[in-house]
Amino acid sequence: MDLSLNVNGRPEQFAAEPNELLVERLRDGLGLTGTKVGCDTGQCGTCVVQLDGRSVKSCLVLTASAAGSRVTTIEGVTTRGGELSGLQEALRQEHGTQCGFCTPGMVMALGELVENTADREAPTEPEIREWLTGNLCRCTGYHSVVRGVQRACSAARTEIPEEISGAAAVSAPGGPGPEPASVPASASASGQEV
Amino acid sequence: MTAVTGEAPLQGSGLLGQPLDAREDPQLLRGEAVYVGDINLPGTAHMAILGSPVAHAKILSIETKAAEQMPGVLKVATAADFTDVMPLPCIWIPGGVESHFPPHPYGLPGARPVLTGDAVRHVGDPIAVVVAETPRQAAAALAAIAVEYEPLPVVTRADAALAEGAPQLHEAVPGNLNAYWTCGDKDRTEAALAEAEVKVELDLVNQRTINSPIEPRGAVGDYNAATDEYTLYASTQGPHNHRFLLAALVLGIPFNKLRVIAPTVGGSFGTKGYLYPDMALVLLLSKALRRPVKWVDTRTGLMNSTVQGRDHRQHVVLAGTRDGRMTGLWATSYANLGAYPSTIGPGVATALMGRSISGMYDIPAAFCEVYAAFTNTVSLGAQRGSGRAEAAFLMERLVDRFAAEIGMDPAAVRRKNLVPNEKFPYDNGLGWTYDSGDYQVNFDKAMALSGYADMAARKAEARTRGKRLGVGIATYVAICGVGPSTRMSQEGMLGGTWESANIRVNPTGEVTVTVGSASTGQSHHTVFAQVAADELEIDPALVQVYEGDTLKAPYGQGTYGSRSYSMAAPAVALTARKIKAKLVKAGAVFLGVPEEKVVYAGGKVYEEGNEENAKTFADLAMAMWYGWGLPHEIEPALDETTHFDPPDFNYPFGTHVAVVEVDELTGETEVVAYTAVDDAGNIGNPKIVLGQIEGSITHGLGQALMEAAVYDEQGLLLSSDLTTYALPRAADVPFFTLGKTTTPTPHNALGAKGAGEIATVPPAAAVVNAVVDALSDLGVQHIDMPLTPEKVWRRLRGEAQ
Repeated sequence: MDLSLNVNGRPEQFAAEPNELLVERLRDGLGLTGTKVGCDTGQCGTCVVQLDGRSVKSCLVLTASAAGSRVTTIEGVTTRGGELSGLQEALRQEHGTQCGFCTPGMVMALGELVENTADREAPTEPEIREWLTGNLCRCTGYHSVVRGVQRACSAARTEIPEEISGAAAVSAPGGPGPEPASVPASASASGQEV
Repeated sequence: MTAVTGEAPLQGSGLLGQPLDAREDPQLLRGEAVYVGDINLPGTAHMAILGSPVAHAKILSIETKAAEQMPGVLKVATAADFTDVMPLPCIWIPGGVESHFPPHPYGLPGARPVLTGDAVRHVGDPIAVVVAETPRQAAAALAAIAVEYEPLPVVTRADAALAEGAPQLHEAVPGNLNAYWTCGDKDRTEAALAEAEVKVELDLVNQRTINSPIEPRGAVGDYNAATDEYTLYASTQGPHNHRFLLAALVLGIPFNKLRVIAPTVGGSFGTKGYLYPDMALVLLLSKALRRPVKWVDTRTGLMNSTVQGRDHRQHVVLAGTRDGRMTGLWATSYANLGAYPSTIGPGVATALMGRSISGMYDIPAAFCEVYAAFTNTVSLGAQRGSGRAEAAFLMERLVDRFAAEIGMDPAAVRRKNLVPNEKFPYDNGLGWTYDSGDYQVNFDKAMALSGYADMAARKAEARTRGKRLGVGIATYVAICGVGPSTRMSQEGMLGGTWESANIRVNPTGEVTVTVGSASTGQSHHTVFAQVAADELEIDPALVQVYEGDTLKAPYGQGTYGSRSYSMAAPAVALTARKIKAKLVKAGAVFLGVPEEKVVYAGGKVYEEGNEENAKTFADLAMAMWYGWGLPHEIEPALDETTHFDPPDFNYPFGTHVAVVEVDELTGETEVVAYTAVDDAGNIGNPKIVLGQIEGSITHGLGQALMEAAVYDEQGLLLSSDLTTYALPRAADVPFFTLGKTTTPTPHNALGAKGAGEIATVPPAAAVVNAVVDALSDLGVQHIDMPLTPEKVWRRLRGEAQ
């Protein structure tokens, strides 16, 4: 069947089998390999993309059922080699990665959290952990990712959105960012000496 | 809190120890890193593997004609197509090479062929492969292959496999016994147990777990007919090692005809250092089809084929005195090797575990025996903290049991038996000689940080909320820095275990570092650049690191056992020192002063006391490239290599304290606080190590609370995907309280001990100790992992184990 999608702002038209998964279209059909496949059962979250602004697991979505939608993948968050988004920058500063395989999916899932809560109080640590439940990471144990989100949310609340569009201003790459205001005492103890 | 000082002083500019940002991170965060599944060479065909649906059967026939007719299918192959291919070698033979004379160059009897033809021995055992135009076509054609089986009886437990009349897996291995392996002093230990004032015993199951890197394994084979060269892209921890094993021991092709490239690798935790059939198959099929052949595993495929971890059934005994001195330790273990000996699994299950069992304690008599057996399960291999975690678990469970028996505080018993400082280097009587340590300082710090003294009040408070609070301590020593090649040969390792680094100074003053190691997420590009820049006293931005491609990198053995920073990084440092030494020699010529007056400091060379007239690193790099005016004994250019083989292993250690709350009504266990004080010697980049420690603890908590590879009686793996195998999720873990002590090792130039996986070693023991503590008033002395709510709930109601 002939379908169309808007992927990262670009209209795409193609023929797809009825049982084709969205992740297959993105990776194999469109060459957008930033989206990963880790588990085939919707458990790991490495395939998360945003479908009309909501994060979804693209291994659980048929391409046909997404027809006509707006899809944002990790490739749509930044330009190739370009400046990191506020969330990405915060995750970089907290080293919220290791092997990086789960990272694109996490950025896509957490992006929705950071954006959705930008106009209210920063999400609490349990809220962040709850939001992360759909994404598995075997390397970091999530701690650095949670700290990264705390940092991103804290930064998002100190920026002036009119002046800095899209990316949250944490600091210049390489420089030390502001300490997140919302990090609980237990969090700052974590790793204080290592 | 620094204790013993190592012999090798830290040099350099002070960059080491700094939490530099990982230079790998931006491309990972943008999704731009290339993993094996992202590699699409022109003309690529796709391979799928038919794994056995039954655990044990004779293969009577395989019919592939229908599959060959399926759309897009290019080739269907079975064992009959690969009769000239050797089986996959096992290169760690328990008991030492000497005991296996003549040596088995291709590993142990029972070695796995690239495809099985006579019989299947576990669910997932590869029987046939299909190569097709698309992955879907290849997968679809698998269903059209008809295999006729004659069922054989199944055995999935090591102890059962050794019983009389048990199903036999390999003709060459009567009784399924791969190895009976021992260490320690049996007679002294028997005497210690016989004379003991107090003796406690436990039967333990260290359950089988699945490492579960989030990226399943994959391989792309690319044969070039014009040059007769093979290239393998694979998710591997050890590209050089895989090149050696594949070229020399499996395919029988010249070493220089095979290039192995590890792209970005999505986690490994031990599993991707092993040699698997698919690595050979993509190469063989690429040659047959004259096209690149790609294979990427599914999650269920991974669970049924990638090596699994732990899996010991043990009877352990501890002897001691009424006043808390430990006098004897005995461990009998049945290790489940699975259906075939994996690349180094038999060594992990024996030496790596057995020699580690006494941990941080000074026990005068200890003995360990391991029966390593074949069963109808997936092959056993390494898992983050492998061997050492199994050892710490048995020891730390025993200490708590002993403390309860004599009515002494578990912390006090531990404190009393720690190896004292004056005994280093310490021979543990089981085969390891601990290099350095200050165990008391480390232990006391963990007690203080965790607030151990206040636990009674916390327990009382928890009870008012319907929760039972328990506290568990676990200490450990983790052998790392594998290792001295000769020592490893005595352990039965077929192959060297040194590590190497090359430094090439570019004419324009930048530096290229290549290492034989290969990252699976440990930020090598950042850390090795840091080491070279520190030693050369230059800006780390000038240093670029390459690894993972056997054509470009110097020989090396790869990343495993937390060895990269204590093996490859010292090789980088030593190489940088060679560069500096050469620059001092050349500097003497360029400056026209005697060599002994020349100083290398701050990335410059100058005459002592005349710093204004210095030659900068960039000046010297260009001058050495030109080579003008150099005397004959100084070669032009700056290109040095070091192969580092340490004098002995290194021994990081630490103390962890878990605080749990068990819900009276549901049996749920929540880890409410976790304190870890680890000692990895001198740390290069604390930001990188922090992530490794946090991830390692979480991994260990997973084994304690939820992870288990469950086989049914027919040998079917019931936990065969991530809906049935539980991994810790973000909401399952709290932030941890972390501290460190620093005891440098004298065994390498950086004083560095292994760090990457060491914090996986004690958490399972700490958590089980904590839950048993919470339930101790009910008479509970032990609960087998994983501590699922149901299991704990039953114990809360007085049901037996």
